Amino acid sequence: MLVYVQLNVECDNMSIEAYIIYGLAIILSLISLYKDPKKTKQGLKKGFKAFVKLMPVLLPLFLFIGILLAVVTPDFISSLLGEESGIVGIIFGLSIGSITFMPPFVAFPLGRELLDSGGAYPQVAAFLVTVMSVGIVYFAAERKFFSTKSAVYRNLVSLIGAVIVVLVVMVVYA
Amino acid sequence: MINFVMKNKFLVISIILLIIFTIIDINYTYRSLENTWNQILSMLIIVPPIFILIGLFDAWVPRETVINLMGKESGLKGMALAFFLGAFSAGPTIAAFPLAMIMLKKGASYSNVLFFLMVWSSLKLPIVFFQISQLGFQFAMLINSIMFVVFIIAALVAEKFYSEEELQKFEEKAHKLT
Repeated sequence: MLVYVQLNVECDNMSIEAYIIYGLAIILSLISLYKDPKKTKQGLKKGFKAFVKLMPVLLPLFLFIGILLAVVTPDFISSLLGEESGIVGIIFGLSIGSITFMPPFVAFPLGRELLDSGGAYPQVAAFLVTVMSVGIVYFAAERKFFSTKSAVYRNLVSLIGAVIVVLVVMVVYA
Repeated sequence: MINFVMKNKFLVISIILLIIFTIIDINYTYRSLENTWNQILSMLIIVPPIFILIGLFDAWVPRETVINLMGKESGLKGMALAFFLGAFSAGPTIAAFPLAMIMLKKGASYSNVLFFLMVWSSLKLPIVFFQISQLGFQFAMLINSIMFVVFIIAALVAEKFYSEEELQKFEEKAHKLT
């Protein structure tokens, strides 16, 4: 039941996001078409070419994400981040968050649920910050788009940020 | 063969995992493939308009404008713009990479593009509102303000870690990929 509700929330929000971005694309295309049809055609062609070039980089990642999500379920995460989990729970939170990918509309309700069931704030913060900003799964794509160094840098910065958040949360919610 | 494996690590690892799942418990295999399918579907929904926007951007916005607004000398203006582009956005982080590429191609500085990516990953406004509704204002804003400061510092010092050549390569890569 809960999963059903969560997925529902996710779909609703996704479609709002999608509507906005589709609306923007359509309006700008029309303006562009009105101003210069030739340039518009050229632009759309360029966009399609970029799509064809970039998709092969992204598709294998989805298979991997699918596998990860089959193993790392919300239940699995809750079992590791309980109230008594202490420093080990924080490390679990950081690592699971870094490895997995999860849409925010699943991740934040999960965080809420963990807090309600007595999960401690630092563990939940560790998980939520890394799940949003550190992505070992995206790492492969990031490497190809930028460079290995750049991918390491961005992910490392986010991980350091997550550790700082955890430390501050430990003080504030002590 | 070895070349293929090295080039497609994720694909190969995934297939090996799927085979192991099938031996242990085929339900995991089904669930994995179902998840993959859902991921691809949600990606395909969001992707066409993004590439339309990229194409239009490419055709209409002159390089000089981007250099002026987000290039090396753009300073605070460039960072602010990177922040707004990242914050007023929608879609998963993976959708931000192609946009980042087109920015680099048009002459935006690496620092600003990196800042844009980091803001997109964690500080998108729609997500922030949802986060506040779920976690409460205090907890959510504590997390977000710390990350905001960390991202600013990281973006400001980023280019110090790269040689001129490496920075040049980002732009070359962007030309090749888009």
